[in-house]
Amino acid sequence: MTAHDELLTFLTTTLGPSGVLCDDVDIARYRIDWAGAQGGIPLAVARPATPEQVAEILGYCHRNDIPVVPQGGGSGLVEAALPDRDTPELVISLERLNGIRHVDPINFSMSVDAGCILQTIKDAAEAEDCFFPLTLGAQGSCQIGGNIATNAGGLNVLRYGMMRQLVLGVEVALPDGRLLCDMKALHKNNTGYDLKQLFIGAEGTLGIVTGAVIKLFPRPQVTRTALIGCPDVESVLKLYAQSRRSCCDLLSAFELIPRICLELAIEVAPDLPDPLDEGHPVYILMEVAASGPVNLDGMIEALFEIGIENGWINDGVLATSDHQAKQLWRIREAMLEGQQRRGEHLRTDVSLPLSALSEFHHRAQLSMEETSPECTVIAYGHVGDGNLHFNVLPPPTLEQEAKRSLLHELELQLFDIVAEFSGSISAEHGIGRAKQAPFLETLTAPEHEIMRGIKRQIDPRGMMSPGRILPATHD
Amino acid sequence: MKVLVAVKRVIDYNVKIRVKADQSDVDLTNVKMAMNPFCEIAVEEAVRLKEKGVATEVIAVSIGPKASQEQLRTALALGADRAIQVLTDDPVDSLAVAKLLAKVVEEEQPGLVILGKQSIDADNNQTGQMLAALTGMGQGTFASEVVVDGESVNVTREIDGGLQTVKLSLPAVVTTDLRLNEPRYAKLPDIMKAKKKPLDVKTPEELGVSTASKVTLVKVAPPAERQGGIKVGSVDELVDKLKNEAKVIS
Repeated sequence: MTAHDELLTFLTTTLGPSGVLCDDVDIARYRIDWAGAQGGIPLAVARPATPEQVAEILGYCHRNDIPVVPQGGGSGLVEAALPDRDTPELVISLERLNGIRHVDPINFSMSVDAGCILQTIKDAAEAEDCFFPLTLGAQGSCQIGGNIATNAGGLNVLRYGMMRQLVLGVEVALPDGRLLCDMKALHKNNTGYDLKQLFIGAEGTLGIVTGAVIKLFPRPQVTRTALIGCPDVESVLKLYAQSRRSCCDLLSAFELIPRICLELAIEVAPDLPDPLDEGHPVYILMEVAASGPVNLDGMIEALFEIGIENGWINDGVLATSDHQAKQLWRIREAMLEGQQRRGEHLRTDVSLPLSALSEFHHRAQLSMEETSPECTVIAYGHVGDGNLHFNVLPPPTLEQEAKRSLLHELELQLFDIVAEFSGSISAEHGIGRAKQAPFLETLTAPEHEIMRGIKRQIDPRGMMSPGRILPATHD
Repeated sequence: MKVLVAVKRVIDYNVKIRVKADQSDVDLTNVKMAMNPFCEIAVEEAVRLKEKGVATEVIAVSIGPKASQEQLRTALALGADRAIQVLTDDPVDSLAVAKLLAKVVEEEQPGLVILGKQSIDADNNQTGQMLAALTGMGQGTFASEVVVDGESVNVTREIDGGLQTVKLSLPAVVTTDLRLNEPRYAKLPDIMKAKKKPLDVKTPEELGVSTASKVTLVKVAPPAERQGGIKVGSVDELVDKLKNEAKVIS
């Protein structure tokens, strides 16, 4: 019996026949992600249904030197969850480990299996008059385990923080097959090294998250959504600072949308509104939410008056119903689709101090246009978090090879400017494989040493998602 | 020509309705309220008539508690010129609303009254028709197109299996259907201006109308919860269940 046959026999015995997939047709969907990136052919796809099964599989792979890669909903953007193209890996999909374990509306916490779809969690919270704030475009398909492994961000970070701030406890299957269980639903716990934080954002390189205790919040009862037209990015940032003050820090989203994104969105969904009479250089999609009777209209109106007076605001609309609010948010979703349709482009996820963001934006735009005058810069993002998706569409006429090298050059150029402004090359998407080279360049010697040490300590044989974040070790 | 638009405050259509524990009514505590979607369409149509130069003034009217002034302010922000609130905390049925509106019509003498075909809370679809009967005006219900032509109005109606166009002499009552138009967004500068537009408050007593209802709400119950589906192991089991449990085949 070959090692591969033995693996399949082990998996079938452990998980039952429906827990293992190896047919080409069945595994096709585990080889492609939302962005269309294609992975290699895996050894098999294992679909464990309990945390113990996950641990058992890892133990087997540890003993037999079989590389594994965990997979959630497949909406990652840095190719961390796709099976390797050169070395066949075992894909472990958490999709069958998908139960809500317990909701505690007094402790404002919920414990869940890692494979729970984010939307399911949000619905379960709402049923108990609570709110789980993580909000992403992919929430209908992404899994909480993936959100934890990638330290997901999204639209509500401004008010509630990233995934790292939303986790109270984790349960992790370690590379050697043991289960690390830290599922205490504690809001305060100051006992030594905070191990769970190590696994959050580790992109599956230190183990597989099988369960978590997450933090809940009171459910917002009143929400106001506005689309505001502004003259430039600098005004947007001034308006942001004022918004937090005028709206008593009840701001839950503050999204920058340049005019071109609105047009891309309408290209995809022609029924979308272009609600302001004239086009404006940049727009802000902003949301204010409160869990009790607060006069949000009054706050927004006061903010608007200040904004107009100072020339930060040109014009704006306020959604008068949830339907209108949803339509405004659809602009934000459809513009991503519109961008996707334009084919291969430079996609970045940079983070900057808010006070440097306007100057960075200006400098980066000039630099891109200097190198490639026909390219189109699309810079949008969660400006409230200092997070800018500074993307560049190459000239459509360019040949594939030339396009690739141009995009690569532009990326290097952009990351240099990011470094100058003391920014980060990955605000929320992570490193995976796609951002590894520039990431390693920014690491200082002590940082590099500690990261390698942690990896070696927890995964000595280097079988957990090898080659993601840090290069694979061959020894 | 004056255009009068009726506006109702209802639960926002996106809100999941909850019934009070004692089943006496729908639970409205802390629930998001908005303008009835069909009324939004009515306001939009009136404002468009004004923009076309057909209407000279748009007056929004709402009957309900003080909070319904929010919806009137929205109507003003969307382009109505002034608003009238008939203030009452009592529940009002369609007939009482129609009687109150008839009084407002008598005072204002509009050339056209536009209402939503129904409100999404009670779904009665009565007020427009009752108002027409009480005032003796012609009615064009479920409108998908409204064209004012001199002293008359052509109303295209959505009816079973097609469209019907009726010609009414003015003044007339029109009720709106979903496809009449797409309501606009309230612009922030207009929201500010709307605060300064006139909003008159009247009471049913001042209008000489009794709101006492002849209808009593006995009980409100949520629809039966849907049973989850099951997976069957074989075709035989499926056929057995369809025959003996669901009783859809014999």
